[in-house]
Amino acid sequence: METFWEAFKRHGVSRRDFMKFAVTITGMMGLAPTMVPKVVRAMESKPRVPVIWIHGLECTCCSESFIRSATPLASDVVLSMISLEYDDTLSAAAGDAVEEHRKKIMKDYWGNYILAVEGNPPLGEEGMYCIINGKPFVEHLKESAEGAKAIISWGSCASWGCVQAAKPNPTTAVPVHKVITDKPIIKVPGCPPIAEVMTGVIMYMVLFDRIPPLDSQGRPKMFYGNRIHDTCYRRAFFNAGQFVERFDDEAAKKGWCLYKVGCRGPTTYNQCGSMRWYNGLSYPIQSGHGCIGCAEDNFWDNGPFYERLTNIPVPKQESNADKVGAVAAAAAVGGAIVHGIATKIRNSGKKEE
Amino acid sequence: MKEYKRFYIFSPSLRIWHWINFLSIMVLFATGIYIGNPFFIGSQGVEAALVHGQSLTMGLIREVHFIAGYILLASFIFRMLIALIDGRDRLFIPKVWKSEFWSRLGETLQEYALVKDSSEGSLQIRNPLARTAYFLVYIAILFMIITGFGMYGMSDPSGFWASIFGWVVWSLGGEFPTHMWHHWVAWLIILFAIVHVYLVIREDFTKKTGEVSSMFNGYKFFKKEPADLKELK
Ligand code: HEM
Ligand code: SF4
Ligand code: SF4
Repeated sequence: METFWEAFKRHGVSRRDFMKFAVTITGMMGLAPTMVPKVVRAMESKPRVPVIWIHGLECTCCSESFIRSATPLASDVVLSMISLEYDDTLSAAAGDAVEEHRKKIMKDYWGNYILAVEGNPPLGEEGMYCIINGKPFVEHLKESAEGAKAIISWGSCASWGCVQAAKPNPTTAVPVHKVITDKPIIKVPGCPPIAEVMTGVIMYMVLFDRIPPLDSQGRPKMFYGNRIHDTCYRRAFFNAGQFVERFDDEAAKKGWCLYKVGCRGPTTYNQCGSMRWYNGLSYPIQSGHGCIGCAEDNFWDNGPFYERLTNIPVPKQESNADKVGAVAAAAAVGGAIVHGIATKIRNSGKKEE
Repeated sequence: MKEYKRFYIFSPSLRIWHWINFLSIMVLFATGIYIGNPFFIGSQGVEAALVHGQSLTMGLIREVHFIAGYILLASFIFRMLIALIDGRDRLFIPKVWKSEFWSRLGETLQEYALVKDSSEGSLQIRNPLARTAYFLVYIAILFMIITGFGMYGMSDPSGFWASIFGWVVWSLGGEFPTHMWHHWVAWLIILFAIVHVYLVIREDFTKKTGEVSSMFNGYKFFKKEPADLKELK
């Protein structure tokens, strides 16, 4: 395999542009400027890494996000940084031809290729809910994982389960780490993950030939080390106690904090507040909608999305902890008074010893 | 009529702890409910960046919650230490391995169900039902401390508090469920407090043991020696 620099040269990139590129991606990977020489050296010497990208039960929003990466351009990553050998959604070839190619790449680079998984395997009915090339996806996944150096779990599907695993999970969809247990897995959750986070993770892995530092949940620390709430530009309104009450009120126009209309920013780890989307153009909160917590485990079941507190199942009624609590407290006070009177009656007529 | 005798029950440390605990939980509950649902807005028409110090803000209320949280943590550690040091301060342990525990539990339940009247049954400084309830409340407080400092610390996942309590966030299924658990158990503690206050006053009225004042001066009053007094010796 050729090195990145060689690949760049082949594409007619000047040394100057190559250096600019190295500086930019160093920043995007969350590394200090002092790391630039290391990044340049790595790009000059490291061979490009073969990547096999497979698709399970999913909506393909991760791929949609990835191809919009602006820094670096997804095309740069795919054409120069990695050698994307198999991607049944993006590749022109299809059917047996690509399957044969996948097997060949696996054999040629056994132990050296990266497996990127988008979507997840449904286990119900022996995996019949998702068929790839005539076989259940779960087998496709296990087979492809066998010779991989590491696995990237793209998005909330592969990392946590996401919508298809939400209650009642009719297809028994499970995240990748429930099926593959003997390989390092990098979770890159989000529905979808931010494009630049995806390319950032890939670049880190190919440039440094190791997996990025992960937190206790297996997510790269440099991209999932902050809550949206702690980086949100509306935080000043939160601290001041200035909240949007309805999406059509004055406060919404003024751009106040979306906490009371259900924003999950306080409990969600992602880069939306700092890197933002579309090359830093905007993110959901900036466009006036609360975060729904798409990068968190089980976020579909933590609704309603437009309320701060979850519902408590009370028959025939919408209810949350504060309503139930207040009723229970009132009942306790009432009960105490009634019980007190009853005690008085029960004990009346008794003489003291 | 037999005379009441005075028995020394609660140590000064325990009494001081009790009231600090009470105050911090009241502050934590009031501020916590506001954090969960900021129902009044105190700072309309003021520049967000300048509002701090001008009126009651979310920032200030959270700060008070966290300060009270630190006090609760400190007082909880203090409470555990005095229980370790002095047998007198260990009355919250339900002695489920003893047969008296179960027979007296039955007696107390019958009394509260008004099957028996309050003069029947054996005298106790602390009945098994109360012990069980207090034990559960200590666990609930510990739960609030762990979840509270877990959420508090996760603004820096590699920092000090997260390294101690961060795990709880993941064992409860993520940070959002942790907020909800913290919220639900807050209500449970308040329900306990209501029933607790009622039963203490009831005890005082029906048995004239000086139950209410005992948490101020340390003494309870009985005509005979209560059955579990030997635990204090
Ligand atoms: C008995 C004691 C406590 C009670 C009754 C209590 C009550 C509450 C309530 C009701 C909430 C709102 C939950 C939500 O809807 O998000 C809350 C939030 C919170 N509490 Fe507590 N709490 C207690 C102890 C603590 C302690 C010891 C700490 C540790 C510092 C703590 C830290 C927090 C934090 C960090 C939040 C979230 C604040 C935010 O999201 O802005 N709490 N508390
Ligand atoms: S909009 Fe959401 S993330 Fe931003 S400060 Fe408000 S609650 Fe936090
Ligand atoms: S703001 Fe929240 S819901 Fe929106 S993309 Fe970011 S993590 Fe997902």
